[in-house]
Amino acid sequence: MRLYKTLVAAALGTVMSVSGAFAETPADTLVIADAIDDIITLDPAEVSEVGGVLMSQQMYQPLVTFDPADPTKIVGVLAESWEVSEDGKTFTFTMNPDAKFASGNPVTAKDAEYSLQRVILLDSRISFILTQFGITKENVAEKIKATDDATLVIEVDQKYAQSFVLYVLSSFTGGIVDSVLVKEHEGTREDGSNDYGNAWLKADNSAGSGPYVLTKWDPKVSILMSRNENYWGEAPGVERIFLQHMPESATQRLALEKGDIDIANKLGPDDIGAVEGNADIQVLEGNSSTIYYMGANVRDEALSNPKVIEAMKYLIDYDGIAETIGRGTIKVHQTMIPDGFLGGNIDYNPYSFDLEKAKALLEESGVSLPITLDTVVWNVPPYPDYAQAVQATMAQAGINLDLQVVDGGPWLDRYRSHDLDIWVGLWGPDYPDPHSNAKAFTVNDATDPDGAKGNLADRFGWNSGPLSDQVLAAVQEQDTEKRAEMYEEIQRAHTDSSPFLYMFQDSRRVAMRSDVKGVVLGITFSDDRYGAVTKE
Amino acid sequence: MPATTYRPLRLFIDVGLWLLTVAITLLGLAALTFFIGRILPIDPVLSIVGEKALPEVYQRVYLELGLDKPLWQQFFDYVMKLLRGDFGTSFSTSRPVLTDLLNFFPATLELSTIGLLIGVALGVPMGVASAYWHEKWPDHVIRIIGLVGYSVPVFWLGLVGLFVFYYLLDWVAGPGQLDVFYVGVVDRITGMILIDSALAGEWDIFWNAVSHMILPALLLGYYSLAYISRMTRSVMLDQLSREYVLTARLKGASEFRVVMGHALRNAAIPLVTVIALSYGGLLEGSVLIETIFSWPGIGNYIYSSLFAADMNAVLGGTLLVGIVFVLLNMLSDVLYRVLDPRSRELAK
Repeated sequence: MRLYKTLVAAALGTVMSVSGAFAETPADTLVIADAIDDIITLDPAEVSEVGGVLMSQQMYQPLVTFDPADPTKIVGVLAESWEVSEDGKTFTFTMNPDAKFASGNPVTAKDAEYSLQRVILLDSRISFILTQFGITKENVAEKIKATDDATLVIEVDQKYAQSFVLYVLSSFTGGIVDSVLVKEHEGTREDGSNDYGNAWLKADNSAGSGPYVLTKWDPKVSILMSRNENYWGEAPGVERIFLQHMPESATQRLALEKGDIDIANKLGPDDIGAVEGNADIQVLEGNSSTIYYMGANVRDEALSNPKVIEAMKYLIDYDGIAETIGRGTIKVHQTMIPDGFLGGNIDYNPYSFDLEKAKALLEESGVSLPITLDTVVWNVPPYPDYAQAVQATMAQAGINLDLQVVDGGPWLDRYRSHDLDIWVGLWGPDYPDPHSNAKAFTVNDATDPDGAKGNLADRFGWNSGPLSDQVLAAVQEQDTEKRAEMYEEIQRAHTDSSPFLYMFQDSRRVAMRSDVKGVVLGITFSDDRYGAVTKE
Repeated sequence: MPATTYRPLRLFIDVGLWLLTVAITLLGLAALTFFIGRILPIDPVLSIVGEKALPEVYQRVYLELGLDKPLWQQFFDYVMKLLRGDFGTSFSTSRPVLTDLLNFFPATLELSTIGLLIGVALGVPMGVASAYWHEKWPDHVIRIIGLVGYSVPVFWLGLVGLFVFYYLLDWVAGPGQLDVFYVGVVDRITGMILIDSALAGEWDIFWNAVSHMILPALLLGYYSLAYISRMTRSVMLDQLSREYVLTARLKGASEFRVVMGHALRNAAIPLVTVIALSYGGLLEGSVLIETIFSWPGIGNYIYSSLFAADMNAVLGGTLLVGIVFVLLNMLSDVLYRVLDPRSRELAK
């Protein structure tokens, strides 16, 4: 209470000392407007919503991270160094002796062991990110193990690329919690099992080592974080981060222009365009890893003909859609790995709208035209807009898309049960490694011929041939440079031959007040870094 | 007189019957919402675990939610829990639904009550004036004002209102309930920010809250005004054409007395229903107003829960809205008796 009064007094002082009537956020608080009603947890062992990951990244730190400007540079955070065994299966991390939690407890290998184990023991919805290394509830005690306070050993089931394992550990799933503190708050779940402090971490509590700690989480309303007074790195520039639920883009824009918020995270293209000329506002550009694509189900007879698929790739007005519908929110991107990821920046966009070429290809294919394709589209922007634009150009060559614009549920259902010819959708990687996309779009899994587990190549009925093995080889390549080259090669072949019509990658444009400095945009929607933010 | 002897029993039966009706209404509402929620092609498990989760994770949550049981049993379990005051837990906030409702409803209650007061304070006199100067210019002007309030989309009015009064003129504060540095300063007692800040004696916060509330409250007021004034007009037109009005005029009563004393008094009875219904409508929470003004109200809560397939939260919210309507109904019944001597006679 006293703290708040002091804060109010300070804030009032600031407001009064500023001449003129314009509003201003308190100088020591970073106010971010976002849509936060999707956040259901901030526990790093299960968080996966955009807003939730964004917030938990400010509170929890992974063992290792990468430089957003150059993802090939992997650096230690809570781990000081690491070694990989000859056979590539054993990762040994040496913890950073300086690191400590907000509670003042030192960060030890025991904490890392507890944190990574609980992702699996909790049966968390993101446990698949770690179980892909062959770690299960039964063997987790052996596979993730602290041999002493300074050493953590992780054993994976086969030889993987070092960078792959490290990228996965760098993601939100790899956030390390203070095991001493969390163990004090372990409870039981409805089925009687240990909740490993999950309920406690879902309330107003945090137990991390990052620059901020959670002060108050009012679900669907706001999240308040305060500076971690025990932070072991360079002290954060602002005292507090306040995330306010402000779902409406136009409202965010007014509040930003007025100075009532510092960062507007959910501005639509119209509002971004409107604030761009404003000298008080800066627009930062970054990458988002979301890829928009159309998947063609090659179980359909016409679509099983590669010439038809190729023709369709020439029947999309990529530039036109990006300009008129996307207006700065997307860029043309025709490969499966997003820019910003290892091996992603290859700028390979071989297709553009070419009606003559498409007609010639269709002629060669021998398919009798016109054909009609069941096309399933989600009924929220921007999908119907993209689909309609594509429908118009494809029709010119005799390919009629029968657009079925449906709710999110049926949209996903028909995609999972491949009850469609064309799916208009998106893909967002689960962790910042190219394998997340490469596996989904390329690898054929003989045990799961319909892609029920999420292998899109199988889901769309496509046998990727040698590419499948190439992807599995790339994820085992130890040399990071070489690994990047392998993905470049795979992507070109994939773009040329796959039934996936990649169209765009999301561009991120975040508008903020000009006095906000030090925001680092990550390579996805949710790994922006606020630790170094200051307001001048 | 034997009738008096039975009166307490009679009252007992009346109250009992009323409670039974309420219980059946709410049960019906719960059943309807419950089964619609189950029939809809949404998978609550999927919205909790995400589409990439492992099968065993899916299975665990599936069992946790009790979805393996037959539908009727799920409903029965739900109702049994309700009877113990347990609305279940919302997975999207990880809190008991009851806590959530108590958290979000006061914000809507406060805003709607002020909105309704504005609507009644302006709408009734406007309706009266409109009826009195029937087909003359005041009637036309008031009708146009009402028509705009009723037909222009409220989100558009909200955005224009914010742009003009907040952005350009700086007369009111922006979206949200309070300025950021006031958030969480006063202790939560009723959940209504005006009352809590007044109780705490934090007058700066009180005025800040007023400044944030004025625009959305005015818009809600305007919206209900449109309806209330139209209804007042038609009821008053009817009353003013009655013979007792003519009699009163012939007896030399002043025009003011005729209109306000006689006609409006009689019009008040149907108006109670109109106002109660408007109030109920506002208390459901205006999703659009709440979205534009970032207002942490019940409308937004139910809406976002529905999108997340958070069925406990949706059911709880729907029941709350049902209870609100039942209570308003009861309130207007009571007011009927106060206003209309005949209904008191009948009740005997």
